[in-house]
Amino acid sequence: MTLRSPLGRVLNHGAAHGGVSHWIVERVTALALAPLAIWLLVTLLALPVLDHATLSIWVATGWNPVWLALLVLLASWHSWLGVQMVVEDYVHGLTKTLTLLVSTCVHALLALSGVYAILHIVFAGTA
Amino acid sequence: MVQLALPPNARIDKSAGKHYPAPSGARRVRTFRIYRFDPASGQRPRIDRYDLDMEQCGPMVLDALLKIKNEVDATLSLRRSCREGICGSCAMNINGVNTLACTRACEDLGGGDVSIYPLPHMPVVKDLVTDLTTFYAQYAAIKPWLQTRTPAPPDRERLQSKHEQQRIDRPSACILCACCSTSCPSYWWNSERYLGPAALLAAYRWIVDSRDEALGERLDALEDPFRLYRCHTIMNCAEACPKDLNPARAIGAIKQMLADRQH
Repeated sequence: MTLRSPLGRVLNHGAAHGGVSHWIVERVTALALAPLAIWLLVTLLALPVLDHATLSIWVATGWNPVWLALLVLLASWHSWLGVQMVVEDYVHGLTKTLTLLVSTCVHALLALSGVYAILHIVFAGTA
Repeated sequence: MVQLALPPNARIDKSAGKHYPAPSGARRVRTFRIYRFDPASGQRPRIDRYDLDMEQCGPMVLDALLKIKNEVDATLSLRRSCREGICGSCAMNINGVNTLACTRACEDLGGGDVSIYPLPHMPVVKDLVTDLTTFYAQYAAIKPWLQTRTPAPPDRERLQSKHEQQRIDRPSACILCACCSTSCPSYWWNSERYLGPAALLAAYRWIVDSRDEALGERLDALEDPFRLYRCHTIMNCAEACPKDLNPARAIGAIKQMLADRQH
């Protein structure tokens, strides 16, 4: 029960002056991911066999590690933003804050471990 | 927390619905299944079935509802006023689509029963009458009036070119019936924080008004992850609008303006 006026409730804390860069980055990462995803699919399908040894060599060849790392980082970034949107839509209160924290940690972990794996293959050979 | 189960008074009591058969001698019978709920009664909502003789009934869904109210069951509550699609009072959910009962012809609903519910996800005052207080407050929040600093010319109106008038012509046609906002899932889940398509279309109407001098302030007020960016271009608003307006496109244009002023 609140006696606060409806307009007062709707105006609430005012505008947070955010969301624009979120909206832009969502679109820019999507645009960048499209050619990268096609590149990944096409080059993988062009390999003679898809076993561990072939893939390890492929990862370390030429510009492949650069494109792969870019793909991992952009995909994590894009997914992080997307999951944040979904959580903000459906989850409310303290649970929302906690879910967003967990999502951020998981995505940071995904991005870092992906890049680490690529660097490891390039500089130390396969694990 | 995520709410998975509906509260009891949002669940329909399937055993409680009443049936009002058509008078004997009825030739073209059609059944109207209507949502009935009185929060004060302490009972759960029910669906009442009214069989009408369409030979004795006007063509629109509103005609059928008024026939029921006048001749069959006076306890049915609904809002209506102009009966010609300009007041927006009789907005409701007819066969799963938000629209105006006065402009939706029964014949256009195909065959079979007609299901009539109040606007989705709004507090129900009684039967088909919903509480639109927050919806109207959201309209007030976008300051739907001309804001200027330049004084008006002493001897004439503020002028606008024909092209400038055309930009506000369509968005001005909104009748605030709430069909769009209450069809929007984003509005359902965050109706207190997301302004909703109707209020954002109204904001757009003033944003593109060449006479208005508060464009920056208007964009500032919308620059918010919830007020504006809950729109995920689901497009239910454009689908539902009985005036054939496109709030989704207006929201897209506002997002574009906010992006453009960043770079």
